[in-house]
Amino acid sequence: MPEIAELERSLDLLREAIDWPATPLLAGRITARIATPAPAPRAWFQSRWALAAAIALLAIAALTAYTPSRDAIASWINLHTSITRMNHLPTPSPQPSGPLGKRLGLGEPTTLAAAQGKVAWNILLPASLGRPDEVYFQLDAPSGEVNLVYKSRPGLKTSRQTGVAVLITEVSGRVDTNFFGKMLGQGTTIEDVTVNGHKGWWISGEPHDVFFADANGNFRSETLRLATNTLLIDEGGIIVRIEGDLTKAQALEIAASLS
Amino acid sequence: MHPMEGRPTDGDLFTRAQRGDKVAYEEIVRRYQEVAFRTAYVITGSSADAEDAAQEGFVKAYRALATFRTGAEPRPWLLRIVANEARNRARSAGRRHQLELRLAARFRPGDAAPSPEAAAVAAEDRSRLLAHVNGLSEEDRQVIASRYFLELSGEETAAALGIPEGTVKSRLSRALTRLRERVEEGPRA
Repeated sequence: MPEIAELERSLDLLREAIDWPATPLLAGRITARIATPAPAPRAWFQSRWALAAAIALLAIAALTAYTPSRDAIASWINLHTSITRMNHLPTPSPQPSGPLGKRLGLGEPTTLAAAQGKVAWNILLPASLGRPDEVYFQLDAPSGEVNLVYKSRPGLKTSRQTGVAVLITEVSGRVDTNFFGKMLGQGTTIEDVTVNGHKGWWISGEPHDVFFADANGNFRSETLRLATNTLLIDEGGIIVRIEGDLTKAQALEIAASLS
Repeated sequence: MHPMEGRPTDGDLFTRAQRGDKVAYEEIVRRYQEVAFRTAYVITGSSADAEDAAQEGFVKAYRALATFRTGAEPRPWLLRIVANEARNRARSAGRRHQLELRLAARFRPGDAAPSPEAAAVAAEDRSRLLAHVNGLSEEDRQVIASRYFLELSGEETAAALGIPEGTVKSRLSRALTRLRERVEEGPRA
């Protein structure tokens, strides 16, 4: 059997023989694209469809708060994924004892390797926090949801209420900004940010719901579980949510170290 | 990278581009378009998708220049953005292509000009080895192509494949072991 070093030498020699497709000349095209300013995202209320959808969603949310109507409506509009998630309380209500994940509804405890085996995307880990103290996997979302718990880290506050410094949630889907303005309360503010080229939103203030389209295209709603400031990033098909008693700078630093 | 006389460094270009200098950004695109396109090709297996991903990635990177830290390495930063675009396209339903790397004509066994026996044998070996690489899993193929054919660093490979840098080493080690087993098992193609 050839030695690995020998194999590596053969691969090095193979490099010059690869027939790559011709590299397109992109510079001119890109200069033309960036010459025009990026189109500003339209506010949700500027789109009739978004407004209609938001009103419909609010009506559904109100109706589903009434338990007997929930199952019938869910069945009728085939939106089980979005409706079942409405059961989260608007503010966290941690119990005094028990595993963190159980208290916060994070799913089943697991390991990073096992969680990686269950999801299609590469689980992103923040280099600035190191390996998570606990990992949870939840089957609720169509493609699964991975929760990484960091109990304490130097320079970061640990919540006395929950015992968590940072909670990172990853789920397959796309953030739907159309519903942000409508669903955030008066005490919540939202600010657009960019992290490593990906869109993000810094949400601070009162507890809030986040709406996003999951891997099946269904709208889902989640109340943030630590009732703290949150950075939400749409990482190219993976939604990463960083929650904790963090400053914006701390959250951005964690997000920038994700890989 | 050693700055050449009269040639701005990548860092200079990024600083100027961050201030809105589009000419500087055009130069950045020229410098990186080949590695960006080939990286996207390794991920998508399609030159059309790779071209779209590289173009969209460069535009997004321009819009995100404010997040680029002065002094950081620009290649991993750019490759991460382009590779994310490439992965999005590769994931899209019905648009999956398997990467199939080919030998340039002058290196193919039958197409070589009359050459010494040793060169002919080398051409056969290259062809067989590339066929074994093509036969690996997508994950193995991508990490080997990134490291040996694109000559990406560990950090760049991690950025391109969307995995931690530590995982690159272990994934590469496993991929090489599997490639060695295939080579040992016998001829392919």
